[in-house]
Amino acid sequence: MRLDFVFAGVGGQGIVVLSDIFCEAAMLDGFDVTKAEIHGMAQRGGSITAFARISEKVESPLIETGKADAIVGFEILETVRALHMLKPNGTVVVNTKYLTPSNFSKSIKLKTQQELLSIIDNFTPNVYQVDASNMANQLGNNLIVNTILLGAVSALPNMPIQRESFEKAMSTKLKEKYLQINLQAFELGRQSVLK
Amino acid sequence: MTSKITVNNPNSFILLNGDEAVARGAVEAGIKVAAAYPGTPSTEILETLAQAAKTLNFYAEWSVNEIISTEVAAGASMAGARAIVSMKHVGLNVASDAVMTLAYTGTKGGLVITVCDDPALHSSQNEQDTRYFAVHSKLPLLDAGNPQEALNMTREAFNISEKLHLPIILRLTTRVAHGKAKVQIGSFQNLERDISFDKNGSNWVMIPANAIRQHHALEEKLVEAKQLSENSQFNKIEDNNSEIGIIGSGVGYYYARSVLDTKKFSWLKLGFIHPFPAELVKTFATRVKQLIVIEELRPYIEENLQRLKLDVTGKTVLNLSEIGEYTPDKIREAFAKLGLTKKTSTTAAVAGLQPRPPNLCPGCTHRAFYYALNSVNQHVTCDSSKCIGCRTCEKVCAFGKRQVLGGAKARIHVTRVNDVEHVAISCQACPSAPCVVSCKNGALSKSVKTGLISVDESKCVGCALCVKACSYGAIGLDSDKHKVFVCDTCNGDPACVKSCPQSALTLVGRSDDKIVAGDIGCYTLGFLPPLSTVQTCLCMGGGISQAAGMVHAGVGGKVFAVLGDSTFFHAGMPGLLNVAYNRANVCVVILDNRIVAMTGHQPTPASGRTAMGDAAKSVSIQEIVRSVGIDKIVTIDPYDVKATVEAIREILTYDGPCVIISQRSCPLLIERGSPYEITEKCGSCGLCTTRFGCPAITQTNNSNSSVNNASVVSVTSGRVAIDSSLCSGCGVCASICPHNAIVPMVGRKD
Repeated sequence: MRLDFVFAGVGGQGIVVLSDIFCEAAMLDGFDVTKAEIHGMAQRGGSITAFARISEKVESPLIETGKADAIVGFEILETVRALHMLKPNGTVVVNTKYLTPSNFSKSIKLKTQQELLSIIDNFTPNVYQVDASNMANQLGNNLIVNTILLGAVSALPNMPIQRESFEKAMSTKLKEKYLQINLQAFELGRQSVLK
Repeated sequence: MTSKITVNNPNSFILLNGDEAVARGAVEAGIKVAAAYPGTPSTEILETLAQAAKTLNFYAEWSVNEIISTEVAAGASMAGARAIVSMKHVGLNVASDAVMTLAYTGTKGGLVITVCDDPALHSSQNEQDTRYFAVHSKLPLLDAGNPQEALNMTREAFNISEKLHLPIILRLTTRVAHGKAKVQIGSFQNLERDISFDKNGSNWVMIPANAIRQHHALEEKLVEAKQLSENSQFNKIEDNNSEIGIIGSGVGYYYARSVLDTKKFSWLKLGFIHPFPAELVKTFATRVKQLIVIEELRPYIEENLQRLKLDVTGKTVLNLSEIGEYTPDKIREAFAKLGLTKKTSTTAAVAGLQPRPPNLCPGCTHRAFYYALNSVNQHVTCDSSKCIGCRTCEKVCAFGKRQVLGGAKARIHVTRVNDVEHVAISCQACPSAPCVVSCKNGALSKSVKTGLISVDESKCVGCALCVKACSYGAIGLDSDKHKVFVCDTCNGDPACVKSCPQSALTLVGRSDDKIVAGDIGCYTLGFLPPLSTVQTCLCMGGGISQAAGMVHAGVGGKVFAVLGDSTFFHAGMPGLLNVAYNRANVCVVILDNRIVAMTGHQPTPASGRTAMGDAAKSVSIQEIVRSVGIDKIVTIDPYDVKATVEAIREILTYDGPCVIISQRSCPLLIERGSPYEITEKCGSCGLCTTRFGCPAITQTNNSNSSVNNASVVSVTSGRVAIDSSLCSGCGVCASICPHNAIVPMVGRKD
C-alpha cells in the first residue's frame, strides 16, 4: 500500500495544517509518513504545495512528477498548476473556488473558471468538485475550507485511513473552541463525496 | 504553551519536521541554553525549544543576530552547560567571526551549531554549502538527510562535542528542516552538571601566543575527529554485493533510493562528513566496481574521492548541477541515462497559467508605505483602450487654466494611436527631465518634492527647446505669451481626470524616480510588480550602507534605504550610525511592524516579550535613532497614505541623513477588520489592482464567472472585486480609490 498526495493552494488557505492532520491520521493507523512543504517567502498569497506520502516505509519526501495518487486542490488555478504531478487516472478533489492572482502580467491571458475546471476534467475522469468555499461561508466561517476538503478526502474510495483517525487527528491539532465547527465541516465534506 | 517535544514517552513515534527533531534531540541531550535569530528554514528549531524551555527547565532566547546567539551559546558551553545555537546558512556568515575562533578556544559543555542550508533558494539570497564552511573552520560536521537523522545526530553531536572539546556543526537542508516524518524519539538524559567557569583557562584568551597553541590543539583534535567519523554510526554501508556502489549524503541519498531497486546496489550513507571518513570510503570502494556520488550543491564527497585517487561517477557524468536542489525526477533521469533505472513518461505542466508569485499579504503595512513612496511623484496617465478621443480633457484643461474655449492651450493632448485607439498625453514627470536640461535660461525646474515641472515665466523666452526635448510632446508653447506651459496635475487633483467621461485618465505615481535600497524581510517583496519600489537586496542590514556608498559616489539626490524593525536591530544599527556620522544624504526608512514577520512572527526587542513568553522592556526605535546622531526623524502611520506622501515630500527637501519610522503592527497579528467591497462607482481605472496590488482585490476577464462570496462589478475591461475571505479590512484601498468606490461591507462579519 502506497499513497502519495499533493496538496495545492494559496498561502493562507490552511494547506500546511491540513496536510499535517492528514499525516497524523495516517500515523494513527500505523503508516509511515513523510511530508514536504515549502514555506517562508511571504505569509500569504503565493502558490503553496505540500506532499504527503503514506506507506509501510517512505524514504523520499518528494513525489515524482506523474506519480501522485491524488491532488487536493484548495483553489482551481493552483490545482491546474499541480496537475502534472498526478498519475494517469489519478484522483482530484478540488474546491471550485477561483482566486484570481492580483498583480497578473498583461502578457498572459487569465484563464476563466470554466476553462480551468475543464482542464481538470479532461486530465482525469476521477474528479470530485467540492464547493467548499460556499459551504464554509454558509457555516459562517471562511477558514474551515480545509477541513471540508479533508472530509471529502476521507470519503474517497479505497481510503485506507479510518474516519475516526481523521477526527482524532483533528481534535489534537485544532484549537478546542474551533473543533466543533471543524467536525461539522468535515462531515459536510464527506457527504459531498459520498452522495 | 504546550510543546510536542516535551513528551516523556521514549521510543514512541511522533510527526516532526527536521527543525522540531533537532529541538527534541537537544532536549534529550539535556541542554541548558538555546539561542538563535530567526531565519528560514531554521526558525522552528528555537521556536520549538522556546515553547518547551519552561517545562524542561532550560533557557531559550531569540538573540538580536546570529553572532550574538553563537556567543551566548558559547558562553554557556564555557560554563560547562550543553548549548545549541541554530541559524540559516547565511546566518553562519554573520556568526563566522565567533565560530572561526571558537574552533581554537574549544568548548567545555557540548556545543552544537545547527545550520540550515537552502538549496534552490526557496527563501534565501544564496545557495552556499555549509560543508565547505566546516572545511574552512576545521570543525566537525554532521549532515542530516531526514528528521530521524536530525534527532539522532543532534543528540550524538553533544557527546562528540564533549569528547573533542569542539563545537559541532549540524547541517540540515530545507527539505530536511521543513520536511515532516514519523520520528522515533528517545529518552531525556539526566545531566547533573556543575556549572562554573574556569577563570584560569588560557584557551579562552585568544591572544596570538595562546591562539597559535590552540591552532595546534585543533589539528590534534581533528585527528581524533577523523577516527570518530571513520567509525560513526551515521556513516553506514549497506552491502548488497553489487558492482555499483552509491555514496550519498543529505536528502539526495533518499531520492536515489526511491528511484532505484535498492537491492541491486550497494550503499554508503555519509552523515559524519567532516573530517572525511577516507578509510571507510576506501573500504567501500574495494567492494564495488563503480562508485556513484549523489550530493546536492557542491561536489564535496566527489572531490574527496578524487583526492583519494578513486574513480567516481559524479555530477558531470550524471549531468546533475551544483545549482538548485535535487529532486527524485532529476535523480531518476540521471540514473536512467546510465541505464540503471527506467525513465518514466510524464505529462508536461499545463502551460500559459497566470503565475502567483509570493506577495505582500492583504493589509500589509509595507505595501501601503511603498504605495505612498511611489505616489510622491505623480502624473496623469491614459488607458488607450478606454479613450475615445472626445477631447473633453483638453477643453476642461484649457478652460480651467486659461479660461479659453477649445483645446489649443490645454496641457494634455489627445492623439491617435492607430485607426481606432486614441490616447491623451500630458507631462509624465520623468526622472531625467530632458526639458529642464534643455532650457538654456534656467526657466524650467523640477520640484524636489513632487517631481513636477514648473516654468518661471520671467526667464522663459519662448525658444521652445524644451518643447522639442520632450519626447511625449507634453510641453506646449503659448503663441500669445511666447511662454511654455506644462501640466501641474492641478495640485494633485487634476480636472481632466475628474471630467473624463470614459474614466480613461488616472493620476498615478511612479516607482522609478528614486533609488530605494532594500534589505532582507517580507518587504523585499516590494521589488516585485506592481509596486517595483525596491531595487536592491544583498544581506541583513546591507541596504543602508549600500545607499550611503551610492551617495558618496555621487548619484545625486536623496537615496532611500528601507528595512524592517528586526533587521534594524540585527545589523541596521551600525549602518545607521555610520550614515549619521559620515553625513550621507540617505533617508533610512524603518518599516516597524513590531515583529519578525517573514519567519512566522517572532518577537523583536521592541515587542515587549521574550522567546519564553516573559515580559520585557520594549526598546524605542526613536530613541535609538536619535542616539546615533540622527536629527531628522519622522514617524508616520503607513495606512494614512496621504500623510505619508506629505511626510516623504518634506523629507525630500531635507539635506542630510534622516529617518522615517513607518509604524504599524503586521496585520496578521491583529483581529481582521470588517471587509470592504467595491460599489458601482468603480471606474475600472486599475489603480487598486495594477498599482496597489492587494491580493484580496481580484480582476478577471471572465464576464460570467461567479466569484464566490465577492462583490462583483461589471466594467468594460473586466471585473474588479474584493474577496471578503482575504480582505484584512485595512481600508487603504478605499483611501486611494479616486472614484470613492470602495466601502466597508456592512451587515456581515466573517
